[in-house]
Amino acid sequence: MRPVRHTEDLAGHTGIDLAPMLDFVLNLLIFFIITTSFIKEAGTQVKRPEAETAEYNRNGNILIAIRPNGDIWLDRKQVELRDVRPIIERFHIERPEDTVVIIADKESQTGVLTQVMDQVRAAGIQTVSIAALSGS
Amino acid sequence: MRLRHHRQAVDESETGIDLAPMLDFVLNLLIFFIITAVFVKEVGITVSRPASQPQATEEKKKVKTIVATITATGEILINGRLVDLRAVRANIERFAAESPDSPVVVIAHKEAATGILVQVMDQVRQGGIENVSIAASEGT
Repeated sequence: MRPVRHTEDLAGHTGIDLAPMLDFVLNLLIFFIITTSFIKEAGTQVKRPEAETAEYNRNGNILIAIRPNGDIWLDRKQVELRDVRPIIERFHIERPEDTVVIIADKESQTGVLTQVMDQVRAAGIQTVSIAALSGS
Repeated sequence: MRLRHHRQAVDESETGIDLAPMLDFVLNLLIFFIITAVFVKEVGITVSRPASQPQATEEKKKVKTIVATITATGEILINGRLVDLRAVRANIERFAAESPDSPVVVIAHKEAATGILVQVMDQVRQGGIENVSIAASEGT
């Protein structure tokens, strides 16, 4: 009678033990939750100017790109200058600690840059930085 | 007796919670976070705000604002004197030695290229002044 019971017991444990896998997956999940930062990407490629003193801005999560011809890209769309302020205001309400990084092309005119900066500051975000490639 | 014995054995083997649905859920969550994760590290130069009342602060602290002008053609003037980009740092160092904590305002012509503006700001920061703000000029 006893050997029969033993096989029954084995039959109850046919599946793989999921607990170590679950531990691992949870760790992976926690890693991705912590490292994710929900950056608002600009959605276009520009040639950044170089600067040796460029530093990493931890909260610089809203990226605005300015193309050489003056086009403004924000949140993966091309936008007009007058649209920048309401969009930034919305982002500012969603995540108040986020700051803006303007990725202006080397060849772009500073007039557009200052206008965009004014719009961002009018929208309530005071910390604005200009993206640059660090080191040479 | 045999039946009862059997039931008891089955009960013993299934004491724990079934982890499979939880695992499904957690894996879905994991996939979501892997897909949405963006590893963008944007480095840049932070532009400080121009002082709201420049005259009042100037009188109080007796600091002179250093004005760097960039013309439409990319020439650089520091306090009205034409200098080369490579000489900006030395000039700024001299002004910073004379009056520390003085802010620098870069007045760029609106048609000047951003590359030059950022290079000038970089040179100013290398010269030891972190307080750099930008102003635009419409004129020639």
